[in-house]
Amino acid sequence: MTDQAGTIPVPRAVEAAEPEALSGPPTRGRTSGEPPRRGGASVRRVLARREARIALLFVLPAFLLFLAFRFGPAIAGVGLSFFDYDISGTLDFEGLDNFVRLVQDPVFWRSLLVTVLFSLLAVPLTLAISIALALAVRRTFRGSRFFRSVFFLPVITSLVLAGAIFKWIFSTDGPWSQLMEPLGLGGSWLNSPVLVIPALVIVSVWSRFGYGMLIALAALQDVPRELEEAALMDGAGAWARFRFIVFPHLRPTLLFLAVIETTASFQVFDLIYVMTQGGPARGSYTLVYMLYDQGFKYFDYGYAAAIGVVLFIMTLAVALIQRRLIGGRK
Amino acid sequence: MQHRKTLAAVAVAATSAIALAGCAGGSTDGGDAKVTMWIYPVIADEAAHSSYWDGLIASYEKANPGVEVDYEIYPWANRDESLQTAIAAGKGPDLVYLIPDQLSSYASSIEPMDAYLPAEQADDILPNVRDSITIDGSLMGTPLLTSANALMCDRSAFEKAGITDYPKTWDDLMEMAPTFKQNDIYTTQYFGSPEVTLNMTFYPLLWQAGGSVFSDDGSEVAFDGPEGVAALTYLTELAQNDYLEPDLISTMPALEQTALATGQVACTWQSGPADVASYWGEDNIEILPPLTDEESVSYGTVGSLAMLKGAQDKEAAGAFAAYATDADNVKAFDLASNYFSPLASTGELYADDPIQSAIEDVIPTSRVGELYPGAREVMGVLAPEIQAALLGTKTPEQALKDAAAAAEPLLG
Repeated sequence: MTDQAGTIPVPRAVEAAEPEALSGPPTRGRTSGEPPRRGGASVRRVLARREARIALLFVLPAFLLFLAFRFGPAIAGVGLSFFDYDISGTLDFEGLDNFVRLVQDPVFWRSLLVTVLFSLLAVPLTLAISIALALAVRRTFRGSRFFRSVFFLPVITSLVLAGAIFKWIFSTDGPWSQLMEPLGLGGSWLNSPVLVIPALVIVSVWSRFGYGMLIALAALQDVPRELEEAALMDGAGAWARFRFIVFPHLRPTLLFLAVIETTASFQVFDLIYVMTQGGPARGSYTLVYMLYDQGFKYFDYGYAAAIGVVLFIMTLAVALIQRRLIGGRK
Repeated sequence: MQHRKTLAAVAVAATSAIALAGCAGGSTDGGDAKVTMWIYPVIADEAAHSSYWDGLIASYEKANPGVEVDYEIYPWANRDESLQTAIAAGKGPDLVYLIPDQLSSYASSIEPMDAYLPAEQADDILPNVRDSITIDGSLMGTPLLTSANALMCDRSAFEKAGITDYPKTWDDLMEMAPTFKQNDIYTTQYFGSPEVTLNMTFYPLLWQAGGSVFSDDGSEVAFDGPEGVAALTYLTELAQNDYLEPDLISTMPALEQTALATGQVACTWQSGPADVASYWGEDNIEILPPLTDEESVSYGTVGSLAMLKGAQDKEAAGAFAAYATDADNVKAFDLASNYFSPLASTGELYADDPIQSAIEDVIPTSRVGELYPGAREVMGVLAPEIQAALLGTKTPEQALKDAAAAAEPLLG
């Protein structure tokens, strides 16, 4: 099946957007042995360019909005980190002073530790539960749609509302305290500088696994059923089927989820703002909370921007490492 | 191809429109004077609040043809974020309601009021109120109201515990604590969340012990002195003996989820009658002078209308601010909002109301907090250390010492 035969399996606009289609040799997709038809290819290139232009025009509004409200502020933020900016509008160049101050600030190291600890617990747990539940509701069975909907509900539940309820659940006389009492972990976890992070991780995982489950569920639909059935016929157990058939198909999805979840956990703020306000005794004081305090409470915008830059570098570095570890050669 | 060209043209036009809309700024009609004001829900009933300003502005505009006053009532939550963003974008209001702590933070963006207030109106401001809104000799706002957090006790809790006398000193309250505990009543409460200003929580104890947050010249912190240690030791003793509601040390639940709402707190200096009246019943509210260790002192605040430097028409904004805060209007506003007058000439507003009258008596001795530069940052490093002491992970001495060390570079 060739494009000349008019049965191209990809939309023309997509093909046109590929650089090779615009400037590469006109033999792409051609049936072997068929001579190149230069005139047709030329017309197609022109058409492709026009379609590309129209496609670009459609993309342009979103791109401009992205430039104006995402890219622009991000660049401005990086620039601001080298200045001392007063609310009255005074801008003084400080060079690397904000970063030097950051390195010398024990609160920064404490909040970095809290952020990393939170992420180390929250990201793997969210991924594991997302995939486990996606596998559980993957097959259609009686009530499977109901369970899929129920599992997704926390994602669309207001975190402010959920936070109020979880504050009660984790309170001194709340059910979690009663449940943990026999294990010697009774009392309010939100009152413990050590247990506050696990408590927040539980709420974070609860609020996010539904999204991961949905993405994983979509990826699982692409796993060839016949491969699994063949493996089953050959006597492969559930774990072997998952390990050697399902998991390789899930790799790109897992990478996507890992990057998304890591970014979200590095940037955790609303959950902490609602539940603990960074306490007790800075037990849940994350980098973004520190950034918020410096920017909006103390009006120290340059210092806040420097924290933002560090957070960006951290997120980028971890995403690249994840890409290497999970993404494989792809 | 024509339809494609049309489509492309439409896409370009839409893109341009969106881009332009994103960059569009506010427009002014020019000519007549226009004043904009941001206020917050000082009168809790939104309809009553709007009605107050609608009436006042209508009468002002009638008396001053050509002047237009617009106001917006913003929520209390995240008000600093909104205001900072607006100021940074050059879209701030001409006038805004600020408390002393904010006057200090926004000082570089505020136009002093001295030139816009008639002399007799400026002279009418109570001395402690004037001090609280003056920075470097300039009046940073024109006061609209004052408040004070007296000691407030629940009569029914005392009856339940069989205690007939009310506390006057720290020791009185501590002696009563075991009896309250036996009756499942917390002696008091402490909002330990770093989001709660220490002006309402720890600083009154520090002041009552005779201490202060800063040295006299504001160049260094003083909260780690013996007075601060005494205040935090007292608070820690209350916490570690379960005389305080434990969850409030680290979280800030809705008031209805706290022991205060279920009638299980005997006394507090961190909430007011309006907070508890619907739970305790007005008949059960006992207002008392602030506790004393070395002196009886409480936190109070002053609400002012401040003018921002970016005000379009400073004369018009100043004239309206002076009008809105003259003695007649202050009296009307404070009665409508259940706050107190910052002016001497208005006299006692609540002579017939025993609760409000008792609080009014405390106003002249209340303090508005610490107005030195860096006061907010210092709260930011002190609040977590207080939490650590209350949770028993640090001694009061160590917690204050660590907080003082962390505060030192902030005062640079």
